[in-house]
Amino acid sequence: MANKEILKHTLARLEKVVDKCQCSTSINRKYELNLENGRISLLRTTIDHNYSVTVIKDQKQGSISINKTDEQSINEAIDNVVEICANSEVDEAYDIAPYQEPKTFVSGDLEPDLNKMFDLLQDYVDNIKTNYPTIKLMDTAISFTVSTKHLMNSNGVDFTETEGYYDFTSLFAAKEGDKSSSFNYSSYYVRKLEKDLLSYGSLKQVLDETTNQIYTQGVADKFKGDIIITPDCMSMLVYFVVNVYLSNMPLISKTSPLYNKLGEQVASPLFTLHAAPRDERIAKGYHVTGDGFEAKNMTIFDKGVLTSYVLNQYGAKKTGLPRSNNTGGCYIVENGDTPLEDMIKNCKRGVLVHRISGGNPNNNGDLSVVLKNSFYIEDGEIKYPLNETMITLNLKDALANIVEVSKEQVNFGHEIYPYVKVKDVLISGK
Amino acid sequence: MNTNNLKEYLALLTPYTELRVQSNNIMSMAFLNGNMISNSQNRIHGVSARVYKNGSWGFASNSVVNDAGIQAVLSEAENNASFLDSRLDLRKALFNPTVGKMKKDFRSTKHPLSQGEIKEFIKLLDNYIATKYPDVMQRYVGIQFLSMEKNLVTSDGVEFYSFIPRTAIPVQLTVVKDGVPVNLYEAFGGLGEAQDFLDNPENFFPKIDTLYQELIKKSEGVMPKAGLCEVILASDIAGILAHEAIGHTTEADLVLGGSIAAEYMNKEVASPLVTLVDFANTYNGKTLTMPIYMDDEGVVAEDVVIIENGILRNYMHNKETARLFGTEPKGNARAWQFNDEPLIRMRNTAILPGKDKLEDMIASIEDGYFLTKTGNGQADTTSEFTFSVNMGYEIKNGKLGRAIKDTTISGIAFEVLKSVTMVSDEMTWAGTGGMCGKKQPIPVGMGGPSIKCKVNIGGE
Repeated sequence: MANKEILKHTLARLEKVVDKCQCSTSINRKYELNLENGRISLLRTTIDHNYSVTVIKDQKQGSISINKTDEQSINEAIDNVVEICANSEVDEAYDIAPYQEPKTFVSGDLEPDLNKMFDLLQDYVDNIKTNYPTIKLMDTAISFTVSTKHLMNSNGVDFTETEGYYDFTSLFAAKEGDKSSSFNYSSYYVRKLEKDLLSYGSLKQVLDETTNQIYTQGVADKFKGDIIITPDCMSMLVYFVVNVYLSNMPLISKTSPLYNKLGEQVASPLFTLHAAPRDERIAKGYHVTGDGFEAKNMTIFDKGVLTSYVLNQYGAKKTGLPRSNNTGGCYIVENGDTPLEDMIKNCKRGVLVHRISGGNPNNNGDLSVVLKNSFYIEDGEIKYPLNETMITLNLKDALANIVEVSKEQVNFGHEIYPYVKVKDVLISGK
Repeated sequence: MNTNNLKEYLALLTPYTELRVQSNNIMSMAFLNGNMISNSQNRIHGVSARVYKNGSWGFASNSVVNDAGIQAVLSEAENNASFLDSRLDLRKALFNPTVGKMKKDFRSTKHPLSQGEIKEFIKLLDNYIATKYPDVMQRYVGIQFLSMEKNLVTSDGVEFYSFIPRTAIPVQLTVVKDGVPVNLYEAFGGLGEAQDFLDNPENFFPKIDTLYQELIKKSEGVMPKAGLCEVILASDIAGILAHEAIGHTTEADLVLGGSIAAEYMNKEVASPLVTLVDFANTYNGKTLTMPIYMDDEGVVAEDVVIIENGILRNYMHNKETARLFGTEPKGNARAWQFNDEPLIRMRNTAILPGKDKLEDMIASIEDGYFLTKTGNGQADTTSEFTFSVNMGYEIKNGKLGRAIKDTTISGIAFEVLKSVTMVSDEMTWAGTGGMCGKKQPIPVGMGGPSIKCKVNIGGE
């Protein structure tokens, strides 16, 4: 059966058995060139299918997902999901998306240029050998993925989404004699391969920084200072903020300190955060949410004012709060008007934070992490790369204590971030 | 052809080829404050082939597992290897052949539980908490089941079948103290299917009671005093130190990529009290959480002694790095799903027990901490590590004191192991093991004794 026929078959079979149903199929083709021991070693091509169905009956819900699309497997999955649903629990918040106008979305290339992928990857390897002699490459791969997804439900929702994108990721460390840096990495998504691989994302900047991170020092004391968070590190912190404060779980359980704060100034006026899967600059976005809604861009913090949570339909119904325009990801923090150079010059004492390592924040947003690939700043100058240095902060306080946002932004293809400076963070050495 | 009997395809495999049919079954169910928040099943099944040609690898996979699908992935993997060979022209020789025929099936002998029976069991645990501990403001109780079923043949003549199930029953409790939520998590379970663990809910009640009592102590706990201090790391944390901070640095692909361990072979990297082993499948006659008998390159799995009495002795390898280092692979090349290529991975990693009694170790510390539970950990190719500590106690004048709040420990693992002065005589394996991330996730086992050492602890 063709994929759309599978969905029609599913809806027809379940029409009189359950109250509501959502089903989807997808096919992904991936072409990936990998390095091992610093040279191109493997060409991997994969074809993956997915079939998912969610049913609701008497406000009980069941879901199943398989990677088969043959008739027998589909029929078995339909039987199983009805059984899973019957063994579920009643929850008035279970629902599917209402009718929306059927749409088809297409973005990116539909076929890879394998020879170009090989040539660009080989150029990258050669470039590293020539211009970054201390860099040792570890997991490094360039891939092209094209996927087509169909989603339908018993309310008449009918979306088709096809997207193609290239993905490059490189993990590396710098090594001189018996000294080595912490591992570091950079990755990004692009719709088309138009330039050399060093031209995208933060890759060149991260390689340059890593070569200067072999001979590290700790800070001798404990002090409150500025942290300048790089675009690479912003990704993790934004995900922490969303997961701990703004998503289904902390809002349903009311453990979020930002519960009931919609419309309030909870962050610095310099901080504006969007979740924008439809933004033109985002190479790997999405047009349809997992719960069957056409995704729209949204602003989560507008000049520090909390304007939206990140709640799907279930979270919204469960909390009585508005469903958000999308289900998160594709985050863009608006840039400011201070050049990075000035942010460093304006720093009396602090650190440039490129990567953090350690546990997740607790429910209150308290976070204590070790700095990796980071630099000590004093009197407006970067002094040396750091080892064994920790920062301790509360995410909500950090949002309120943002004092500068850089003019520069880095586009990673799925997120876009500037450098962000936060004041009064506890920085401690060994 | 019978797609469950891959040896019928042996004649089609060109040297060197691996052909693997694999199914990962995942079942997940969870309740949050009595509300079912997840109830799903996922089966990932497919076929892959990996072909080696003159030093270049070609890999292909497809979720369609029938005769045409298998022949298609064999052909595409061959084409991919040929494409790379035409561009790279490496002219490398084949690997030394590895052979073996084996079947390892850990399927439960008990009657399978229905979805409804599993749900009722989990609800019983949730009801127990809700009734007995009304001050718990958030209860999370669930079950996560994973089984990996693999069928592998290689052009060397390897034929291997395995079915490895793992069940976890995670419980997280949260109380509010002075307006701040405090939580504690524990996962019960291990090697086996749901019916191997969900037989009697009363078996879980004492464990839940202990978890709650520890949570209450933690909610009344104090922040540790930040800085370098003497600690006892219980097996939970000693295990993650062995895996995350030492084990990864000794994976040969990371050694080649700049790991600090590249400089340490046959050198003293730890106290002579420390011997650290990546066990393939068995310890002291008992099957471990993640028993690997043959890896996905068809190599019969053996234990790898990484550190022996403080001296670094071995790295972990796949076929390619073993040849590069002039040694033999010992079954560390593992793939997560059918569509993943084998990577160098650990199996069941632990420091071996010593001769000290835990009570003597506690008595030997004037001012330090006994750290018992970790949530997660990360480490670097420099062996610098950071682990969260979710449960622990002060040690004052040789006695356990107040509980401590959530904190973090960090250090350089090889330096920490050099600071080890006592190793307890008991050995505990983390029941459910863990998931390790490295391009692909993979289930692993971890364990160890308690070790007395020095680490940096976060706090006031």
